Amino acid sequence: MQQGGGPDTEVTWEDQQNINKFGRLNNRFHELEDEIKIAKETNDNLEDASNELILTDEEVIRFQIGEVFAHVPKEEVEGRIEQMKEVTGQNLEKLEAEKDSVLAQMTELKKILYGKFKDSINLEED
Amino acid sequence: MALSTPGVPERRVIPGAEFVEDVQTCLNVNSALAFLQERLQQYKLVEMRLLAQQRDIQAKIPDIEKCLDVVAPLQTKKGTGYNGLYVCVLLVSLFYTCNSRITCRIRALITDFEASEGIYYWARIEDNDSATALLQKNLDNAKASLEVVDANLQFLRDQATITQVTITRVYNWDVHRHRIRQAAAGKDS
Repeated sequence: MQQGGGPDTEVTWEDQQNINKFGRLNNRFHELEDEIKIAKETNDNLEDASNELILTDEEVIRFQIGEVFAHVPKEEVEGRIEQMKEVTGQNLEKLEAEKDSVLAQMTELKKILYGKFKDSINLEED
Repeated sequence: MALSTPGVPERRVIPGAEFVEDVQTCLNVNSALAFLQERLQQYKLVEMRLLAQQRDIQAKIPDIEKCLDVVAPLQTKKGTGYNGLYVCVLLVSLFYTCNSRITCRIRALITDFEASEGIYYWARIEDNDSATALLQKNLDNAKASLEVVDANLQFLRDQATITQVTITRVYNWDVHRHRIRQAAAGKDS
C-alpha cells in the first residue's frame, strides 16, 4: 500500500484510522485463508477415513487419540468420525462467514479511501 | 517436569507512533525522515520477535490438546489395586506434558520392558485427575498468552502503518515544497 502525489489532499486522523483498519483486515484475511485451507484438508482427510472404514472388514480399528493409537470397535469409530466431520464442517462455515465479512469491510474501506485519495493511494495486493 | 507457565508474556513497551496532523509544521525534513525510518526499523524488529513468540505458542497448543485427548477420558479405576490404567503411549508426548510422578513411572517401566519395534512403551498413569488439571491449566495459559501476543502484534502493526504514512506525507510535502521554490526561483531570473 503506498501513497504518492502532492499534498493536495491532507490525511486526517480519521483517514489514518481507516488505513490502519484496512491493514488489520487485510492481515486477518490472509490468516483466514490459511485457516480455511487447513480446515478443508482436515475435512478431506476425514472423508477419506470414513471411506476407508466402509471398505475395511476389520472389527477393531486402531484409532488415533492424540499421539496414541487405541483399539476401538468399528461402530464407535464411525460415530467418532461423524462427530469430527460435523465439528470441522461447522468450523469451516464459521471461517468462510468471517472471510466474507472481512472482504465486505475491506471493499467498503477501499471505496472511502479511493474516493478521497484517488490515485494517491494503492490498496491492492502487490 | 511441568510445562513452564507461559502465564506472563513478554511485556514490551512498544512506543506509540505520533500522528502528525499537519506535516508543514515539520521544519527539518531530513532529521524527521531519519527518525521515522529508524522508528520503522525498530517496529520491524519487534514484529519479528512477536511473530516468533506467536509461532511457538501456536505449535504448543495442538500438542497440549492432543495429550488432553489421551488423558482426560481415562477413568481412574479404584479398588483394583491400581490407581490408573495401562495405556500404550508414545513416549515423547508424555515426557513433555505430564507431571514428574508420571514421567518417573514411565522411566521405571522402560527398564523393565523390552522396547518393541520402534516407539511404543507400556506406561502407567499414576494420578489421572491431576494430570488432566495440569494439562488444562497449561492449555488455558497458552491460549491466554496467544491472545496477548496477537493484541500486541495488532497494536504494533498499526504504529508501523502510521509511521509509514507519515514518512510518505513528509517526503511528498518536501518534494512539493522544492517544486514551489524552484518555480519561484525560475520566475525571478
